[in-house]
Amino acid sequence: MANTIRLYLTCIRNTLEAAMCLQNFPCQEVERHNKPEVELNTSPGLIMNPVLICRNEAEKCLIETSINSIRISMKVKQADELENILAKKFLRFLSMRAEAFQVLRRKPVQGYDISFLITNYHCEEMHKHKLIDFIVQFMEDIDKEISELKLSVNTRGRLVATEFLKQFI
Amino acid sequence: MILLQSPSRFLLQILHDRLLSQDKGVDIDCQTVEFDDVRYHIQVSMRNPKVLVLSVALPLPPEEAASFDGLPFGAIEAIKAAYGPVVQILDPPKDGFDLTLKINLAKLPSDEEQKNAILLQIASIREVVLGAPLKILLKNLSMKTVGPEAGQPVALVHRPNESFFVVPQADKATVVYPMRFLDSIDIVLATSFLQEFVEARRTAALNNAPACMWSQSPPPELNGAPESALTANAGFVTFVVNPRHVEGKKLDRTVWNLLTFHAYVSYHVKCSEGFMHTRMRRRVDTLIQALDRAKSDAEKLKKMVTGPSFKK
Repeated sequence: MANTIRLYLTCIRNTLEAAMCLQNFPCQEVERHNKPEVELNTSPGLIMNPVLICRNEAEKCLIETSINSIRISMKVKQADELENILAKKFLRFLSMRAEAFQVLRRKPVQGYDISFLITNYHCEEMHKHKLIDFIVQFMEDIDKEISELKLSVNTRGRLVATEFLKQFI
Repeated sequence: MILLQSPSRFLLQILHDRLLSQDKGVDIDCQTVEFDDVRYHIQVSMRNPKVLVLSVALPLPPEEAASFDGLPFGAIEAIKAAYGPVVQILDPPKDGFDLTLKINLAKLPSDEEQKNAILLQIASIREVVLGAPLKILLKNLSMKTVGPEAGQPVALVHRPNESFFVVPQADKATVVYPMRFLDSIDIVLATSFLQEFVEARRTAALNNAPACMWSQSPPPELNGAPESALTANAGFVTFVVNPRHVEGKKLDRTVWNLLTFHAYVSYHVKCSEGFMHTRMRRRVDTLIQALDRAKSDAEKLKKMVTGPSFKK
């Protein structure tokens, strides 16, 4: 189980390296507008085939590319009720701070838990390989954070219960 | 502070300050609110510097928990037994409160230790008043006798409009808490905490602690209880208290712990959420730093140059 995360992340990294070739492309419909084509989804000539990478039924990653933007959507593993609310809480926390993250989308794509939107401007400002490093580290950190939160809740629960029951002895 | 403390820090502070500054003339008129809707109002006027007037408001009892003149069953006797001549109950209580006491500092025992013990007891007024019915039931247990309510669930107040149930029997008392929370996240966290209680009880070190069970549906002990009490979104917790847990000095501590169980769990659920927020904020900072590293040096230089101006 521990090995598959490495394979999963390597696969995502390779796909991103191949897909992240973004160039400036002014909007074809409206003059002087410059929009991320992947969000608009209007012209088939500008959009590439989306790639879906599944680790298992619960975790997957959708990468949609277009000529000037790329959208990466992730679904995070949620085994039980507690992980469910922890993941929701944490991802909502991150999404609300999307402005600070720049490449994060405020609302995840339908069917996924969190989404990134990277445009050609981001690629001009930041090094491409470092950006990919960031995305992959982000995915790893989410998993780590959720399991650490769950562990802290369980540890605290155990401590609280023990202290309470000790009072009766 | 993991456990909730019985003496109220607010009351203890005011009592001690009053004792220390008996000659200095300062009027006191303070109100405070504690968890689960308990309010205190303490007044001292310089006309009677040795007398404090303390008013206490208690949580609203639901229909099934019997209330005698606004106070729990046995509260008045408990107050008289705990404080003796130092405290006098004023009838009727002040407007908006359920109980008003007149505390006479002149009647405190001169021995330092005894004086502090009585002050601590006065600050634990909540435990004395709200815990009075529970204390009577558990005292019966310690003496292995039963009152008229044997085998039937007795409803006692611990939160506004909510009660918990005690089923007294000759050799044990079963205490059942319907756990209710308002927020959906609280419910899930509390459920995981409550299941930890059951797990923790199973460890060898806690063999002498009361047996602990959790179930989503009302346990059989609640068969005689009214319908409204049988819904609980975080399940039902059952403790089985033996005479061993209530003998001698342990009785007061057991009463306090059982009385404030829901408040204890609720407090730790909130602490847990606060801790999670701190962690998440720290993680966000780390991730933003990682993103900053991705920025090219040219961009960073541009940002630095347009910032502070150079002095020549």
